[in-house]
Amino acid sequence: MTGPALSLRGVEKSFDGFAALKDASFAVDAGEVHALLGENGAGKSTLMNVACGLYAPDAGEVLVGGAPVRLSGPRQAAELGIGMVHQHFKLVRPFSIVDNVVLQGRGAGRRARYGASVEAAAEAIRAQGAALGFSIDPHARVDTLSVAEQQRVEIVRALVAGARILILDEPTAVLAVSDAERLLETLRELAARGTAIVLITHKLADVRRFADRVTVMRGGRTVATVDPAKTETAELTRLTVGDAPLSTVGRTSRVGRRRFEAIDLTCLRRDGAPAVDGASFHVRAGEIYGLAGVSGNGQSELAEALMGLRRVDRGAIQFEDAGQSVEAASPSRLRAYGAAFIPADRYSYALAGGLSVADNYAIGRVRRGDYGPVGWTRRGTIRSDAAAAVEAFDVQGVRSLDQKAALLSGGNAQKLVIAREFGGEPTIVVAQSPSRGLDVRASAAVHGRLAEARDRGAAVLLVSEDLDEVTALADRIGVMSGGKLVAEFEAPFDRQAIGRAMVDHSAPAHDAATAP
Amino acid sequence: MTDQAMSDQAMSDRAVDRGMTAAAGERGRFRLGRLNVEVRREAGAAWRAFLTAASVALGLGLSAAILVAAGVPAANLVDELLVQTLFDGQNLHAVLFQAAPLMLLGLAAAMAFRVRFWNLGLEGQMIFGGIGATAVSLAGVGPESLRLPMMGLAAIVFGMAWTSVPLLLKLKVGVNEIISTLLLNYVAMNLLFHLLYGAWKDPRDGFPHSPAFAPFETLPTIAFDLSAALVVALAAVAFCVYLLARSRAAIYMRFVEASPSAARALGVPVAGVTIFAVLLSGALASLAGFVIVSGQEGRLTQSFFHGYGVSGVLIAFLARSNPLAAAIVATLMATLYVAGQNLQVFYAIPGAMVQLIQALVVICVAASDFLVRHRVRWVR
Repeated sequence: MTGPALSLRGVEKSFDGFAALKDASFAVDAGEVHALLGENGAGKSTLMNVACGLYAPDAGEVLVGGAPVRLSGPRQAAELGIGMVHQHFKLVRPFSIVDNVVLQGRGAGRRARYGASVEAAAEAIRAQGAALGFSIDPHARVDTLSVAEQQRVEIVRALVAGARILILDEPTAVLAVSDAERLLETLRELAARGTAIVLITHKLADVRRFADRVTVMRGGRTVATVDPAKTETAELTRLTVGDAPLSTVGRTSRVGRRRFEAIDLTCLRRDGAPAVDGASFHVRAGEIYGLAGVSGNGQSELAEALMGLRRVDRGAIQFEDAGQSVEAASPSRLRAYGAAFIPADRYSYALAGGLSVADNYAIGRVRRGDYGPVGWTRRGTIRSDAAAAVEAFDVQGVRSLDQKAALLSGGNAQKLVIAREFGGEPTIVVAQSPSRGLDVRASAAVHGRLAEARDRGAAVLLVSEDLDEVTALADRIGVMSGGKLVAEFEAPFDRQAIGRAMVDHSAPAHDAATAP
Repeated sequence: MTDQAMSDQAMSDRAVDRGMTAAAGERGRFRLGRLNVEVRREAGAAWRAFLTAASVALGLGLSAAILVAAGVPAANLVDELLVQTLFDGQNLHAVLFQAAPLMLLGLAAAMAFRVRFWNLGLEGQMIFGGIGATAVSLAGVGPESLRLPMMGLAAIVFGMAWTSVPLLLKLKVGVNEIISTLLLNYVAMNLLFHLLYGAWKDPRDGFPHSPAFAPFETLPTIAFDLSAALVVALAAVAFCVYLLARSRAAIYMRFVEASPSAARALGVPVAGVTIFAVLLSGALASLAGFVIVSGQEGRLTQSFFHGYGVSGVLIAFLARSNPLAAAIVATLMATLYVAGQNLQVFYAIPGAMVQLIQALVVICVAASDFLVRHRVRWVR
């Protein structure tokens, strides 16, 4: 075979008149990790969906090993050795790992008889897993696995099918830092053995540390292919976002009274073990309180409880404006007290993907009666307000207010959520991992909005696993570990001390006396 | 690398080679190409309307072919199905007579579907509507001039009470409403038989139906010899159109339908909206029972509800739960019934043929959903 393992030349693709790819070209060689870098909506995933046969390109060609191919679907792409690990895993959750592998009907797991297929596939899974340093039980059900484990299953499945070109779409976005490191090392190892790896990402740090080459995409075009080791970070940023400057967040604190307070808050997991264990803290008007911690130490459960999405089993949440504790409050009651929520899982808790942009914007204010009485809704006002908010909050990719919200890219969907939540000038804001999965520019916009709310006098709680985000924005930081709030810090922050607090208490805590 | 991994690598080499040669061989030769199916991100309203219209036409075309095969002369087909049915005064009257309850049932199903409540208990709710109306008639509640509205009101109250059983079972203990509404139909039916074979049996002829209603207890005919049932149905259509276009319930129902978890997190009163829509559904279905009992049968009979449940669900499905579309589909369905009756009389076509035509149209429209969600391309 000659030429690169996989190359795409002059690919164009449009959806209902919207050009997602314009003359995009890309090539990856066997044995390299080639990063595909770009902002949300730059066309990275679309280009790779063309490469794995999910989309037929409008123009341009796909070459495997130098020979042009026409892909009729992912099945044929797999025959040619192209495997893709999508951002949202394509696994049948109630099935075992081995059944998921047999289901793809190809590669080492393929036999005429189902029983024989299962045995062969189980053997192949163990072998591939061992080669990569994972221990995998092929008969475990997928829905019992953690996200990181499911991702390994996806990779192993592609390898068992004979993938020699492995495409991973934002593989580290869903992983904790340590798991992400481990994954990237695994990918390097695979590359060293001759597999061509395509890594779709928008994390510059990952690119610099793990990629041999990087192709940058912007606005549906491939802008440049460079060696990340020889390119300045500033240059990579400029290629990614264009020449627009990034806004930075300033800090102006005029801290007021306590706006809300968690008192001895406890939430139990389904198995009865505490996820949040007697956490107490308060957030004052005009400050951002950051909750940091290693993933899985109760921060997300705490955030859900504060948003009314999870039952509080003991303790209370107190809102200044309510004048009383609001245990087990529903989201609508909390919102009536002037709270705004930015949940981590946008499409479960913040947006109805199947409904229009206008509906998703209007729902917050319809409830407050801003658009007329129960019996009459002023649709014209909704449309003009929604259009104004889309403009004011810089939500891009809205071709029509009737467009489904699910069609917005992650960053723009988040901006739409913020446009709605901040429209009513909330006095309390709870934001959970608000910039997860967003590119540099969208993250900066989200951070800017949070700081704006703080400067306006709102009490902002920022729950995030990204320590950089928390230290950059927060005025005070609480560290959670094992469901307890183990330490509090005031700005300026000592990152080393925060890091120690996050890790030291990771083991089951028995020194409850350290709680503030 | 382990031996196993090595052999896997070798196997995948072969797979790649095979794919390559196939691709290389195909380039030189004539080939038809292959179909590539993609998920469509958003289908335009025009495309959706066109697909629905085309699939209805396809269903009717297939039905026409079957009718011709069954012995209806091809030349008479259009004449029989459309001209005779819609332009003959007596037939048109029959169509509108049939359309009123079908509209109410289509709306009933549509309202429940809008909040993800799969109400298959339309017939049971009709029965309770009929029982409520008849109870008022038998007990002689209120003055004669108010008797008819009282009967209608009683029908609605009885129907909503009956609907609240599966509704509460779903909301409180999570019982699947598909099963509970469907099975409660049989409970309602046996209660109806219990009354008609017992306490409410007509003393005059001893048949298992209630005594005939007095003239002031039957729906009057109004202008152009049309039954007041049509007025009731059209008023219900207008109310539902308004409700889904302009009321605050409209946006709430859209959120409950699209994403219950997001609706709850955004402060939409999910339980309240569900209760409202489902009780409205039950009220509409029981109103359909009332207009049939009072407007068509003139008494409570054993089988006045028969077959309407399925029709209501089909109408809501074909209309995509849109009230205005439901009114149109219900009228078309009524046309089909009347045309089917005529075909039965003049060409000895079995009555099941009407159901076959209905089913063909529904299957075609259901299948067209695939093209709404996917784009099929020819890869040459």
